[in-house]
Amino acid sequence: MMNSNPSTPMNAHAPSSSSGGAGSPDSNAPRRNSKRPKYSRFTQQELPACKPILTPKWVISAFMLVTIVFIPIGLTSLLASRDVVEIIDRYDNACVQGSKSQKVQHIQSQTTNKTCVRSLTVTKRMKQPIYVYYQLDNFYQNHRRYVKSRSDNQLRNLGDENDTSSCKPENDANGMSIVPCGLVAWSLFNDTYSFSTSNNSQLAINKRHISWKSDRDEKFGSDVFPKNFQNSSFIGGGRLNESLPLNEQEDLIVWMRTAALPTFRKLYGKIEVDIEAGETINVVLENRYNTYSFSGKKKLVLSTTSWLGGKNNFIGIAYLAVGGLCFLLATTFTIIYLVKPRHLGDPNYLSWNRNPGGH
Amino acid sequence: MTSDHSSYAAEMSSDEPKSADLQPASSGGSFSHRSISSNTWRANSIKEVGVIELGSKGGVRYGSRKGGSSSMSMSRREIRDEDSRLVYVNDPVKSNESLEFAGNSVSTSKYNVLTFLPRNLFEQFHRVAYVYFLIIAILNQLPQLAVFGRFASILPLSMVLLVTAVKDGYEDWRRHRSDRIENNRLSSVLVNNTFEQKKWKDIQVGEIIRFSANDTIPCDMVLLSTSDPTGVAYIQTINLDGESNLKTRYAKQETLRIHEVEKSSGVTIKCEKPNRNIYGFLGTMEVDHKQVSLGPSNIVLRGCVLKNTSWAVGVVVYTGMETKVMLNNSGAQSKRSHLEARMNREIIILSFFLVALCSIVSILAGIWLRRHRDELDIMPFYRRKDYSGEDVDNYKYYGWGMEIFFTFLMSVIVFQIMIPIALYISMELVRLGQAYFMIRDDNMCDESTNSRFQCRALNVNEDLGQIKYVFSDKTGTLTENKMEFQFASIFGVDYNGEKTEFYGEQGGYYAEVDGLILKPKMKVGVDGELVRLLKTGNDTNIGKQIYDFFLALASCNTIVPILEDTSNTAEKLIDYQGESPDEQALVYAAAAYGFMLIERTSGHIVIDVLGDRQRFNVLGMHEFDSDRKRMSVILGCPDSTVKVFVKGADTTMFNVIDKSKNKDVITATESHLHAYSSVGLRTLVMGMRGLTSQEFEQWRSSYEAATNALMGRARLLRKVAINLETNLSIVGASGIEDKLQQGVPEAIESLRMANIKVWVLTGDKQETAISIGYSSKLLTSKMTQIIINNNSTDSCKRSLEDALIVSRKATTSGENPRLLALIIDGTSLVYILDSELEEQLFELASKCAVVLCCRVAPLQKAGIVMLIKNRTNDLTLAIGDGANDVSMIQKADVGIGISGQEGRQAVMASDFAMAQFRFLVPLLLVHGHWNYQRMGYMILYNFYRNAVFVLVLFWYVLYTAFTLSTAINEWSSVLYSVIYTSIPTIVVGILDKDLSRTSLLNHPQLYGSGQKQESYNGTLFWLTMADTLWQSMVAFFIPLLAYRKTDIDGSSIGDLWTLAVVFLVNLHLAMDVTTWTWIIHASIWGSIVATIICVIIIDVIPILPGYWAIFHLAGDGSFWFCLIAIIVASLIPRFVLKTVIQRYRPSDIQIMGEVEKFGDLNESGSAEIEMNQPQR
Repeated sequence: MMNSNPSTPMNAHAPSSSSGGAGSPDSNAPRRNSKRPKYSRFTQQELPACKPILTPKWVISAFMLVTIVFIPIGLTSLLASRDVVEIIDRYDNACVQGSKSQKVQHIQSQTTNKTCVRSLTVTKRMKQPIYVYYQLDNFYQNHRRYVKSRSDNQLRNLGDENDTSSCKPENDANGMSIVPCGLVAWSLFNDTYSFSTSNNSQLAINKRHISWKSDRDEKFGSDVFPKNFQNSSFIGGGRLNESLPLNEQEDLIVWMRTAALPTFRKLYGKIEVDIEAGETINVVLENRYNTYSFSGKKKLVLSTTSWLGGKNNFIGIAYLAVGGLCFLLATTFTIIYLVKPRHLGDPNYLSWNRNPGGH
Repeated sequence: MTSDHSSYAAEMSSDEPKSADLQPASSGGSFSHRSISSNTWRANSIKEVGVIELGSKGGVRYGSRKGGSSSMSMSRREIRDEDSRLVYVNDPVKSNESLEFAGNSVSTSKYNVLTFLPRNLFEQFHRVAYVYFLIIAILNQLPQLAVFGRFASILPLSMVLLVTAVKDGYEDWRRHRSDRIENNRLSSVLVNNTFEQKKWKDIQVGEIIRFSANDTIPCDMVLLSTSDPTGVAYIQTINLDGESNLKTRYAKQETLRIHEVEKSSGVTIKCEKPNRNIYGFLGTMEVDHKQVSLGPSNIVLRGCVLKNTSWAVGVVVYTGMETKVMLNNSGAQSKRSHLEARMNREIIILSFFLVALCSIVSILAGIWLRRHRDELDIMPFYRRKDYSGEDVDNYKYYGWGMEIFFTFLMSVIVFQIMIPIALYISMELVRLGQAYFMIRDDNMCDESTNSRFQCRALNVNEDLGQIKYVFSDKTGTLTENKMEFQFASIFGVDYNGEKTEFYGEQGGYYAEVDGLILKPKMKVGVDGELVRLLKTGNDTNIGKQIYDFFLALASCNTIVPILEDTSNTAEKLIDYQGESPDEQALVYAAAAYGFMLIERTSGHIVIDVLGDRQRFNVLGMHEFDSDRKRMSVILGCPDSTVKVFVKGADTTMFNVIDKSKNKDVITATESHLHAYSSVGLRTLVMGMRGLTSQEFEQWRSSYEAATNALMGRARLLRKVAINLETNLSIVGASGIEDKLQQGVPEAIESLRMANIKVWVLTGDKQETAISIGYSSKLLTSKMTQIIINNNSTDSCKRSLEDALIVSRKATTSGENPRLLALIIDGTSLVYILDSELEEQLFELASKCAVVLCCRVAPLQKAGIVMLIKNRTNDLTLAIGDGANDVSMIQKADVGIGISGQEGRQAVMASDFAMAQFRFLVPLLLVHGHWNYQRMGYMILYNFYRNAVFVLVLFWYVLYTAFTLSTAINEWSSVLYSVIYTSIPTIVVGILDKDLSRTSLLNHPQLYGSGQKQESYNGTLFWLTMADTLWQSMVAFFIPLLAYRKTDIDGSSIGDLWTLAVVFLVNLHLAMDVTTWTWIIHASIWGSIVATIICVIIIDVIPILPGYWAIFHLAGDGSFWFCLIAIIVASLIPRFVLKTVIQRYRPSDIQIMGEVEKFGDLNESGSAEIEMNQPQR
């Protein structure tokens, strides 16, 4: 079956093998010696096999397939992202003026009035549900010290209340275990927002079911109540209602799903009415959370959603880019193969046939 | 008639001295180490023993001589007391009282229940890989550095340790079992004057043991007496050195009746301390205040089997672990593969990468800490202060410098798999798998001997794919070493007629003795003319000469006839057992012509001469030694004349033949000899003369004096022999064919086409070597032969210079340069090797297509291998079958032993063993090619696989204030290289085939890809690393940008990264697989499924932070879009590069792959339509 090379030695021991790569075993091989096992495709490495080869057709089809799949996805996700209305308002500097130390002093003081009013203009009609997020910048919720400082056992089981060794340095206060312990819980975000429209009608915020159901059901115990929380001399953030079990403290549950990146949003609640374009939303917020001491930023975000989530053009752009690139490659290869085809499997291309005599 | 022959003699050909030539020159030094191999991947079976350890120096002296002379020369030296052991015969209590000798129980096992754990762990931690794992795991246990949980961090190491320990334990259990069986075998031991059955393990030094035919000998013993009145015993040493022929051992005359108890008291044996030299023994025995010297022919060794002797009695001198067979129980030395050495360079580069990554992280962490030093106390995500205690102090903060240092160590832990240490373990598994397939290959299994390919070393598999030089022995390697008598020249007449007829009917010649029909086991074709002359011309002159010739063939040897039963009770087969295949051939030939050797004792032989049973007394025998290169036997004929028959190599025989008589016969014989050797036959010359009674008496007295001499016995005997072997008249000459093995010419042609240079190193004469060269197609008539055959440095220098000029001319002249063949002999090599001429020889040899070295000594073979190894990076392979090839087998990068006629020493020293030379072709061209290609790819892939994961971790660290937190769950990090991605690479490393066996065999040029290092080189490494960088960036940044400013949590995006990287890495592999069998499908897709399952399992554990993350994530469209985009975008550059290379610079392998797939469309227009229509 192999062609053309005049000097090909005949080798009597080569098994006959069809060109597809799958050898055709001589099934009626003569009975061999007793010690010798039967011919087996496996041991002779002649299992039936498929040998894909990059033929021009396959290459071009692959690129075209990617183009055909990616461009529509890219376009639809760009459109989806364009439909999302997002209002972002940075309020940390707007609510407190002055130098850094003044801000820190203001935010740490127990007595200062921290209420702050912001008004947001809706430029485009927002369909319900409108998600209300707070966004923190430069807050490393993924810091090694921080993510490790929690006790998932304690959150879940009443019996594991004292399982706080992993929560250091916020494991106990006044000689008692803290529930929930650890830096993550301790630094609970505690700014609050209330919204009203320009005609002074209150916009209700639904804060129910803002956390994962799985977390409420399994991760946070229904019989575990906050205890000894924020009782030490150094208070990190929000307090908890000690009469509610942890699995109903949804702000805590949301907060404790630590963010992946130093800039992150967390769901605060949902507004379940549409807001027309041109309306102004007044936000009354309690600016309690201290990001000033480490130059963190706080933003309030109102956003609608599409089938693909929030406003993000990246996926659309990426898909269009990849799809476009593949289209380019497909055309380039088509031209190459049309202009200068290479005969596949032509033995004349073999190095020893190209320059004869040169071993 | 006392015969005190040394045991190893009888090498009668004009050829190189074979197996017996490797007598160690010294008994001390090089044999004293008793290492028991600790190669954990191979069980040392008790059967695989008996190699003489050939150290790189010392063990063999160039030109070292026969056993007789060397052991005798040793006996001249007194054994010093401190180097000896004293054995009181039949008094084990006294023998053992001063020094406790080891008992006879053997233990080949390494562990017992108590020592298993510590010892096995100790041995496992000899590997660098495990130590690295261990250090990382220990570092991780420090509270400051605890990156992973305790359990997660030790999981990979403990899994590897466990698997290895189970395997070692199982092997050791099997050894225990076989030891137990061995130790509980029974032997009959003399206790209180009667022989009682005793377990082997209870046998003690000094005891007297009796064993009968076919018994295995339980320990090393000095023979005292045997059933033969002269004290001869025949033993088979197949378990010791693999040689299946019988060897003779002798009991001393003085001890023949010693087992009768009253005589044994007071007999002591003083012998050397236990050593591993199976061919040496030195001792003296004191019997009746008389010193008797003991040599290697007086002992029988553990593991041997008594044959052809109904019983024998011996005294135990070495027991148990001190027996020679146990001391030799060590494996082949390990070599390291070229590819692995190359890979280690890249591993060092990778460790620089690792250090660089860790430095970047720790420097950036330092900067970050410095910039935020005032905020550390108050930052909610750092909060340096611990307020819980009475005193407010720092929590886990050890100062700026220490934090940087700890960050560095932690990053080493996190990025540890950047150095793919597990690769070493994967490589061993892959080699194990490759070895399995090599062993199972039907094409490398010899049907006739039923012997399979053997992998004795597991670390040079991939070197088989890169061989540039093959050094081959001739006899037994290219040829079968099954000698066949072809031509006879009797008294100047050449009988070389057709060999088709057999004597008489088709059954061949047979003799009838006592109603039994005796037939030789091997039939030899006979010359019709000769048979006719034998039958008719009994009284003519020619008839007498022919009679003498065949009598010489039948008598002048050391062959022992052994009767074998056949199905017919009245018929027996005679099997001629002897150490020299040439002698066997001669005796079989004599038998075919009607001179059948029927019986041999030490005193006489019985020959059936054309139906007439005649008894010849063997009055004396001068065995072969390599100075005289001949042997002689003194026969007392039935007509009471005494004749001496001599046979030997032509060079020495013509010196002792009386040239004045029969001048024309001598010239005719010489021309016949030339004709024989030029067709590649091995030649021997026979001579004889009658002895007058005076001459005989004179000889006998000097012979007896010499045999009884205590000092310089061998030298005296040689002198006697030289005096006797003079003035011979010529009888004739024989031509023995050593047939080329099946398929050798084709194999050599294939190797040559594969651009492998084949060098033949042989002990043969130049003419024989050249003629074998022609018949094996090594030499062709188109070649220019350069012959270097000198005996001084100056003349060597001159011929080398001339040859270089010739070679330059030949290579530059014209477009079709003539191929050069260099033929060089051992004497010239003596002057060239290790001198400044080496360089010239190398230059010359590298220009020659073929190199033939004739008349080379064993160590010269190694020297020639080193000539190439020291000067190039090209890989060398040595193949041989005899003990004289051991040195080159050990020196070459790959050593192959032919398990053929000549014992197992070559096999014991080799990395691979096979039955036939032609198996070299599938081994190199098919398995070597596959192994290399698979291993090369696997190494690169493992580098990539680990680096891409590490880089994804690294990019994330840049977004965590450089604190080495990982979004990827710690369990996933640990399982990544254990479960998620490990199996497919091993499976592909074992099973993927770039080309089919047929293509590789039909186009040996494809082997060049390994020689040119096409599967693993620096360019590929850096390309892979660049690809890795790109893929890691795509895999990391697409999710990052897609989920920027969302409420994504760390565990979810970590799951995304995990799945993305695992999918990517497996699909990358899938893209590179050429042959998709169901196993590869199963492993790749199975790994992906296993990963998904693992990720799900990890995410349904509520106490882990990532609880349920994967389900939330998978419900989100962007997750799927990210995953698809990552896979497509990462693989595009690689895919494009592959396509472009395939279009513009296709490798031979790619083209051949296309030929395999589409070839028959081009050729025959087969009905099978493939999917390649468009471009056609």
